[in-house]
Amino acid sequence: MAPGVERSFTAASTLEEAMAARRQGAAVLAGGTCMMRDPRRGIDLPEAVVALHRIPALSKVEIEPDHVVIGAAVTHVVLGRALHGAAGFEGLVAAAQGAANPGIRRVATVGGNLCAFDFAAADLSPALLVCEATVELETFKGPKLLGISDFLKDRHTLLTEAIVTRIHLRRDLIASAHIRLPLRKAGDYPVAIVSLAVDKDKRCRIAVGSVEPVARRWTALEQAMAAGPPSALDPERAAGFALEHNDFQGRDGREAEGWYRRQVLPPLVKRGVAALLKTEGLA
Amino acid sequence: MTVTFQLNGEDCRFHGDPMTPLVDILRQERFLTGTKAVCREGFCGACTVHVDDEAVPSCLKPVGLVEGCAVTTIEGLSSGNQALHPLQANLEAADAVQCGMCFPGMVMSLSAFVRDNPHASRPEIKAAMVGNICRCTGYERIVDAVADCLDQARKAGQLVGGINV
Ligand SMILES: Cc1cc2nc3c(=O)[nH]c(=O)nc-3n(C[C@H](O)[C@H](O)[C@H](O)COP(=O)(O)OP(=O)(O)OC[C@H]3O[C@@H](n4cnc5c(N)ncnc54)[C@H](O)[C@@H]3O)c2cc1C
Ligand code: FES
Ligand code: FES
Repeated sequence: MAPGVERSFTAASTLEEAMAARRQGAAVLAGGTCMMRDPRRGIDLPEAVVALHRIPALSKVEIEPDHVVIGAAVTHVVLGRALHGAAGFEGLVAAAQGAANPGIRRVATVGGNLCAFDFAAADLSPALLVCEATVELETFKGPKLLGISDFLKDRHTLLTEAIVTRIHLRRDLIASAHIRLPLRKAGDYPVAIVSLAVDKDKRCRIAVGSVEPVARRWTALEQAMAAGPPSALDPERAAGFALEHNDFQGRDGREAEGWYRRQVLPPLVKRGVAALLKTEGLA
Repeated sequence: MTVTFQLNGEDCRFHGDPMTPLVDILRQERFLTGTKAVCREGFCGACTVHVDDEAVPSCLKPVGLVEGCAVTTIEGLSSGNQALHPLQANLEAADAVQCGMCFPGMVMSLSAFVRDNPHASRPEIKAAMVGNICRCTGYERIVDAVADCLDQARKAGQLVGGINV
């Protein structure tokens, strides 16, 4: 920031106020756990920021019989607590309760996790991919709803004139699981993440995070598993399919090289299916 | 910009850049040097303080976000003239501290944890510590001290943090 320039900081209390600040060029500040590290990577903090934590509608989780709505400013801790025990959301709860460390989880938000587009190891992305979440944005032209896959692919462009406001989930899962592989037991970024879910039609959904730059569904594996009878959900068999249909290009990174991220996927799928089979919905 | 908050029970007013990390204000303006800035990346936990009773890393907390909040640092937990917080007393009794660099953050994380989890198991205590790195102790004595602290509180029929049950 130029010397003598005072940074603009808006703690918006309504979405309209936040959008007005965005139109003036303010960057969104959520928990700050990504943004506050920018100066250490040689990136200046924005000259204007708008904080979302005072907007009540963005800080709550609404659980209805057929759907769930998660405000973008909801923290990992609040999300994990709100959905704890909700059938079908075991994977999302595990993602919210297993990411980072307890201090970060109290602060880091769902919106921040999805919008930090240069961060490949986001836990909530694959967990929300298997929920087939819909992302609600408030753009300069009005509200917009987008499937999570499209949002993750296009967020770089979308976010230049938008705020993520809510995440919508249908309650159509009977079981889910979230398996992450950090190099230490906890505290560092996961090298690879596999999220799995089984929907009411007994179809298996699988997504992978941290292996490629952007999390995505593993459709080749989903199709291979769909070919067999649903009763054949078996960890060994799933790991075999994962080996056969491994179409990932691992990214090289500080914690691990690309080949390693790719290679650990079949055992993670095996663990994931084993975890699925232990959930109430499938046990 | 002016940011107003409570710091260890007293009014605190900061004039300056609202994106200043809270840890820098605590250490450089308020001389509360118990809070340590070690990694400045959220990994080590040495900068942990309570914001509205929640243990959070102060290195990643822009001061603008604490407007109207209550911030407690290790100095606010016990002034030194009063009795120690029960967790501090147990850590001292277990001779758990070595170089001490991690301890202010460790105590701030675990004091909130024992307050909220009076029946915590050993694995739960360990899970609560994963954001606090200690290079000296090997952690086991710290876990022992936390378990003792909870045990004593249960026997005395109290929640740690002072609330009678
Ligand atoms: C020590 C440490 C360990 C971590 N480990 C993990 C881990 O294991 N798994 C994991 O998933 N993550 C991890 N993280 C990464 C990260 O901090 C979190 O994923 C977090 O969710 C970011 O959220 P935030 O609210 O702090 O975002 P911020 O830092 O406030 O924002 C991040 C980015 O998103 C934008 N943004 C935020 N909210 C919105 C919105 N609603 N609309 C539009 N743009 C928005 C901001 O402008 C900014 O560009 C870790 C972080 C740390 C510090
Ligand atoms: S200095 Fe804040 S977590 Fe390390
Ligand atoms: S006692 Fe030295 S780092 Fe913990």
